Amino acid sequence: MTEYALEVEGLSKTFGGKPAVQDVSFQARKGELTGFLGPNGAGKTTTLRMSLGVIVPDSGAVKLFGQAPNTKSMDRVGFLPEERGVYRKMTAEAVIVFFARLKGLSAGEARRRALVYLERFGLKEAATKKIKELSKGMAQKIQIISAIIHEPDFIILDEPFSGLDPVNQAMLEQVIREQAQAGRTVLFSTHVMEHAERLCDRIVLMARGRKVFDGRVDEALARVPRQVTLGASAGSNLAEVVSPMGEIETLAPDEDGSANLLLTLKPGVDAQDVLRACVQAGVPLTRFEPRRPHLHDAFVALVGEDAVETLRQEA
Amino acid sequence: MRAAYLIARREYLSYVATWGFWLSLLAVPIFATIGGVTPALIQSSQPVRYFSVIDETGQRLDQLVEQARIEERRAQVRGAIEMMAQGVGGDEAAERALAIFDEDPDGVSQTEAALQSVGLSDAASALEAGRTKAVQVEPPARTADALRPYLSGDQTIETPEGPKPLFAAFFIREHAENGLEVVYLSTNLTNSDLRGDVRDIIRAHMREQALVSEGLDPDEIDAILDIRPLVTSLDARSEAGVEEEVTFADRAPFFVALGLAFILWMAVFSVANMLLTSMIEEKGGKIIELLLSTARLEDILIGKLLGVAGVSVTLFAVWGGVGVLLSTLGGSAIAALDPDLLELLTSVFDPGLLLAGLFFFTCGYLMYGAIFLAMGSLCDTLQDAQTLMGPVIWILMLPMLIIVFSIDALDSMVIQIGSWVPLWTPFVMMARLPTDPPLWELLSACALMVVTTLIVLWGAAAVFRQGALRQANADSVRKLLKMGGKKKA
Repeated sequence: MTEYALEVEGLSKTFGGKPAVQDVSFQARKGELTGFLGPNGAGKTTTLRMSLGVIVPDSGAVKLFGQAPNTKSMDRVGFLPEERGVYRKMTAEAVIVFFARLKGLSAGEARRRALVYLERFGLKEAATKKIKELSKGMAQKIQIISAIIHEPDFIILDEPFSGLDPVNQAMLEQVIREQAQAGRTVLFSTHVMEHAERLCDRIVLMARGRKVFDGRVDEALARVPRQVTLGASAGSNLAEVVSPMGEIETLAPDEDGSANLLLTLKPGVDAQDVLRACVQAGVPLTRFEPRRPHLHDAFVALVGEDAVETLRQEA
Repeated sequence: MRAAYLIARREYLSYVATWGFWLSLLAVPIFATIGGVTPALIQSSQPVRYFSVIDETGQRLDQLVEQARIEERRAQVRGAIEMMAQGVGGDEAAERALAIFDEDPDGVSQTEAALQSVGLSDAASALEAGRTKAVQVEPPARTADALRPYLSGDQTIETPEGPKPLFAAFFIREHAENGLEVVYLSTNLTNSDLRGDVRDIIRAHMREQALVSEGLDPDEIDAILDIRPLVTSLDARSEAGVEEEVTFADRAPFFVALGLAFILWMAVFSVANMLLTSMIEEKGGKIIELLLSTARLEDILIGKLLGVAGVSVTLFAVWGGVGVLLSTLGGSAIAALDPDLLELLTSVFDPGLLLAGLFFFTCGYLMYGAIFLAMGSLCDTLQDAQTLMGPVIWILMLPMLIIVFSIDALDSMVIQIGSWVPLWTPFVMMARLPTDPPLWELLSACALMVVTTLIVLWGAAAVFRQGALRQANADSVRKLLKMGGKKKA
């Protein structure tokens, strides 16, 4: 028994001479919630499609539950693709039952579960309505139900939050947490770092078709240089005291003339060391604000400003 | 195969479980009925047209026209009654009906009674279908200028229906070169029935006069005009020594094969279109990737093809059932109306032709269905599809054009070559079957068609995968074609 739901080894794919994915390797450990991050065009969707056998890679190998993707292993996977839609002329219940049956459920069981999930998602009244009569948010919920109705061991969600309003994004985060708590492996791609930061055990960061980071969220955050915003009364020796501990960026002074600066800490120095040094030197501090690092900062640190700019434009 | 079955089932139900499908099925008999009764409706709604003949020659040609039209019409109705009665009850019934009809030796007043005597009480109106109702009346004036107000409707003539305008006036005059001249005066420039009738009557009269002036007796002239050779058609393929005349029953398989070829073509065209629109709907609705991650590509393709094939089987089954029912229940009525039609319907149920039709439909459907599916996978909208459909529609149209233009020569070289083109084989070979093509040719062309079907399916699957995942689209095909064009140049 393998400990991984998905193992990807050296995957590469080129479209029309342009490399989309280059030598990407990672694993999704069973029971973990893994985020697959990167700006649009980073190669996330192509990698996920290759992982499911939808696209054949130019090189590299994929294992689903320890073996090459096949019908049997695919039945244990629930996939929500980036490009998604449902049959507009079918009823919500019929759509869910159709996809559930494609995943191997009997007609009776598919219908029973469809009603349970529709109720759980607050869509009981919509069961007999055609998809074209539902709102976009409701239709997206139907798609999510269709992806997990067969209670798969491994759930892959490609950009699941895109197109959802904040309320439905929060609802989807809750669904993903519930699935992970139920012991299922979840891999989801997103270019919105906040979702990954709130949800994931591990992240795989992609940029320009290559993997740039693969590890735990705290490990990624550890890559971000720590920063502290400091303020002291005018005429204090704040800059002199803290300069050995990192790089100083002078900020605009307060109205009362207090000096402000942003200190980017050297490796091995933390905010408490700075506070201790200021107290010992008798610096009259007016501000002491350690900045909490975010995955976005980690992404900037790992990928560089250019990719961040791309991300900003595409978000 | 479970996924293929589920996809086929969904596809099938998406068409069959709709009101539109059954309404369109119902529409066919409704429109057929409308088509059937339209001639009678047109006939009954057509106004009686009054016309006058002004004879300026003094030969009483106006009376000749009137008499000749009555005799001609009588002969036509008599012939039709004889044929219809024969269809219902053979020679005996025909004799009985004609005896009643001849009770009025100068007119057609006994038509309905004659038809009723053989159980065809409602068939009288069918004899009038398509005919122009024209009644000759005394001219209200004798010059063109004086007649114009009557022809334009400014003035009317008295008729049993009340005051009516004059439809047309004929002036028959002496002519220095031709002998006689007929001038037709009417505001209706399109109707040629009446003009043709009068022209034929005057021509026959002129010929007869010419022959009389040569010293021939009118009876001798009639006898001479009736001279015609006895033509007998024999089938050279029948056994030596057996000389049976070719009947309609012998020709029926040709008509049936042609009919089946057209039906095949229409069926393939319409169901392939269903696949195209269904595929575009899935592509545009972004459903296809979800399907691809749930089922194998082959299952999706097979499922879609089977689902829509099921729709066409339902169509055929419903109409086949209706056909059998009608033939069984209404066989005698059909025979009464048209014995040849019954012969034709009976020939349709030839198991050999039906099996061949099924085989050709399967191959044709798979080839064109796969092509249309692949095209659909490249397009997001029907507009995209239209640009790609052009060449395929031409490929699909050509065999029909070949069949239509070779309808009298189904053994011609063009048909023979056409039946070897795999994309055309299903239709052209179907039409060719009754000409008994050599077995080796039939088997070879069919084998080539089956191999092509497999290649098309393989190619369509490859295109489908690229198109479904948006790695290729209609623009890719256009670029490819442009590249091909440049290379050739």
